[in-house]
Amino acid sequence: MIPDTILKLRCLGVSYRTYYGTVVAVRDVSLTLGENESVGIIGESGSGKSTLAYAIMDYLAANGTSTGEVLFKGENLLEKSRKEMREYRGNRIAMVYQNPYSSLNPSLTIGRQLDEVSLFHRNSSKDEARAASIEVLKDLYLGDAEGLVRRYPHQISGGMQQRICIAMALLCRPDLMIMDEPTTALDVTTEAVILDLVKDLRDRFKMSLIYISHDIGIVNKVSDRIAVMYRGEIVEIGPKKGIFDRPEHPYTRALINCIPRSGLVKEQVRLNTIPGYVRKRSAEEHGCPFVDRCGKRTSGCVERYGMIEQSPGHFAACDRAYAKDVPDESIIPTAAGPEAACQEGELLLKIEDLYKAFRSRGKTVRAVDGVSVTLHRNNVLGVVGESGCGKSTMGYTLSGLLTPTKGRLLFDGVDISISWKKRSKEILREIQHIFQNPGRSLNPSFNIETIIGRPMKRLLGIKSRAERRKRIEEILRKVDLGKEYLLRKATQLSGGEMQRAAVARAFAIAPDLIICDEPTSALDVSVQSSVLNLLSDLQYESAVAYIFISHDLHVINYISDYIMVMYLGRICEYGKRDEVISPPYHPYTEALLSAVPEVDPSLMKRTIRLEGSPPNPTKKIIGCPFAGRCHKKVGSICDTTPPPKVDFSESHFLYCHIPPDKLSTNGIT
Amino acid sequence: MKRVLFLFKQRPLALVGIVVILFWFFAALFGPSLLSFTYSALDTDYQMTRPGEGGHLLGTDALGRDILTRILHGSRSILTVALLTSLFSTLAGVIIGFSAGYFGGRVDAVFLRIMDILMAIPPLVLAMVILGILGDSTIVSLTIMVSIAYIPATARVARGAMLTCKNYEYVDAARIMGESNFSIMFVEILPNTIGSIIVEATARFAYSIMMVASLGFLGVGLQPPTPDWGMMVIENKSIMMNAPWAVLYPALAIASLVIAISLFSDFVSKVLIHDS
Repeated sequence: MIPDTILKLRCLGVSYRTYYGTVVAVRDVSLTLGENESVGIIGESGSGKSTLAYAIMDYLAANGTSTGEVLFKGENLLEKSRKEMREYRGNRIAMVYQNPYSSLNPSLTIGRQLDEVSLFHRNSSKDEARAASIEVLKDLYLGDAEGLVRRYPHQISGGMQQRICIAMALLCRPDLMIMDEPTTALDVTTEAVILDLVKDLRDRFKMSLIYISHDIGIVNKVSDRIAVMYRGEIVEIGPKKGIFDRPEHPYTRALINCIPRSGLVKEQVRLNTIPGYVRKRSAEEHGCPFVDRCGKRTSGCVERYGMIEQSPGHFAACDRAYAKDVPDESIIPTAAGPEAACQEGELLLKIEDLYKAFRSRGKTVRAVDGVSVTLHRNNVLGVVGESGCGKSTMGYTLSGLLTPTKGRLLFDGVDISISWKKRSKEILREIQHIFQNPGRSLNPSFNIETIIGRPMKRLLGIKSRAERRKRIEEILRKVDLGKEYLLRKATQLSGGEMQRAAVARAFAIAPDLIICDEPTSALDVSVQSSVLNLLSDLQYESAVAYIFISHDLHVINYISDYIMVMYLGRICEYGKRDEVISPPYHPYTEALLSAVPEVDPSLMKRTIRLEGSPPNPTKKIIGCPFAGRCHKKVGSICDTTPPPKVDFSESHFLYCHIPPDKLSTNGIT
Repeated sequence: MKRVLFLFKQRPLALVGIVVILFWFFAALFGPSLLSFTYSALDTDYQMTRPGEGGHLLGTDALGRDILTRILHGSRSILTVALLTSLFSTLAGVIIGFSAGYFGGRVDAVFLRIMDILMAIPPLVLAMVILGILGDSTIVSLTIMVSIAYIPATARVARGAMLTCKNYEYVDAARIMGESNFSIMFVEILPNTIGSIIVEATARFAYSIMMVASLGFLGVGLQPPTPDWGMMVIENKSIMMNAPWAVLYPALAIASLVIAISLFSDFVSKVLIHDS
């Protein structure tokens, strides 16, 4: 045993007995983790990342069995009894989970929950435990630790809750920390702060870290090495630079190329996609797990399979990522070409001073607080902002699910600031909405033909069943779903197929404007890219306009012609895509851009830390809404006076007190 | 289908329940015509006869009436009333509960108050009050009164199912595609709640049998000489020491049917609700 190895997995396998037979969740995983080393595990959902973590902690469900060895400092954890495992869990190996809200007990104070760790593992007295809790909070740079321990989890923000969970994991100074998507539920600016913190803690406490994420950009920020998992196996592992620069396994390469990143825009390249979806694996299946979706497979892929060292420290189970005998399809220029960008049509939508307020417990929440913007035909307006910035509320007022409190919405000259009940059939047909979660937006009791056919019958007035079927088949072909999907129910489809069906439903009645409300956020990256390609193709073909709402700047950057950055119900910055993405920036845009994780590990950005969370939307804000968190705050003027509109070009403006010539002109990287 | 068989294997009792229910339906349809006695015939030679004597398979009561014949005849009325009741109370409950849940606000508040008032009165008492208004007990009046007594319960279940479903985005999608409230409620949402509604209806079926039997026991059920299971229990109570079969068999009939339906209802809920 090499002395500085802390964890060694040897042929670890996990399988579950289910009604459908034995399903293999993790197979033959071997991994060595050195002291003070950090490995990131990436993969799509269903690839066994979390199961691997649970197997290390011996947290498997009752129908799961694990085989192989988990050697922690030379001792096999799988052979330990339940009682012995308590010594390890939380004490020497700690874990942080995805959703901080459900990992904290809502009825106990934060202090009590932190104290429990020391009381249980260290047999400390109550006072010692409390002192330790306060110390660990100070280690995490949480100000007012004494005040914090008296509060309950629901009284603090999500980012703060996750920091409490990290503090709890850190209390016993574990040798190994496992983090399972700890920032997935958080906003991008909060995520950046947490990732900085994790990096800092690693350096200070010399912990080993296993960081699980679906996003290679996040893993780049905190890990030295990256392991790529697919259907229960590690298919490639190596230094992050090596993995990004020269992925050897076709899956790794495909996965990396799927992700929208800075510089990728719709008029230049199509995003790479991986056909098919992640299937469950039975115990009988052998060979390469990726073989059914791989474009580079050979006849030998099923028999010959095993890890080979490609370059020092970089192992991959396959090296056909750049195989010359099959055409390389990873970078395909868009059919549309550069001229597709900004084919400006006539004015379609004019939003004039839109307000939307909700009454909540006697208080008024201003969700949208004075937004004015226009949209032309054939354009895509990307709306980006953190959760709670009012972007979805704006979308809902446009589709009529909410009515504006104040202001006017003019669609093709018609006032549509009324609810769906009062809208004419014509308007209902012209404005469509694609929802975030296709599993919830398609009626689970209907088959695809009914789902797409109902609005056709009602809004296009096509009474003949045969005529409808012909049209439905045609639209399904456009979204790459075959005839065989007509009679399938939504619940029998995978996430990507469901969203395609939802897109088909929206396009089936030839609308002029589609509100895409985070249409890819619930999907895996490989599926996200195919849906983005599809949306982009259909938009170009049919010249429809999109309002594309997303929290992901890379996605917005890829698909939009215009970008609007929102904060607390107001516009911060608006302009053509390239005008917003490049300096001069609004300080908030700058912070957002700096926080977005990058796929390329050599693109190191200086992160702007935004502390705290957006202010309480029930309070009337007189000055700039961003003043409280702004890293470039001018002075008291920001709090007392609304920021002036600063125009940079005909299309580009932002709201800020900083004189135009003083706004940062440097890029982020 | 394969899953249903799999669940059957796990729960053999459900099969017992179904067999017993089928037995009673079969008995109600064909039983009386297979027997040589009529339910009101007084066999003066065989009063309080032990089971098996004089051709009376389950014995006779104090007046010499054949217990088996009366039980089989009684199954007709009780099954008719219980089936219709579970059907009507479910139908009315779905319409009322769906409207209350879907429209919310004032409609919901009014609904909840009325249901609270109805639920504050025990169903049995409520049924007796309604019976007082309707007059004599007949199959029709029994059905109406038991149905009304059970509407609050079914309406609450329907309202709860509606509240969960109406937050799904497919409802929003249907709205902005111009569908009417009626079609959203009964075409889009109803199929997704049908599982819990069917389970509730089968549970109501069991409750209705209990209720009809209880009313008979209290003497406000179907009037003599029509045989009624609950009434048979009470009218033979005085001869229980000498002729226990006269009480035992009608009581067993009630119990077997109620338990069988409960077992079936549990199974239905496993199949329909946990499936999704």
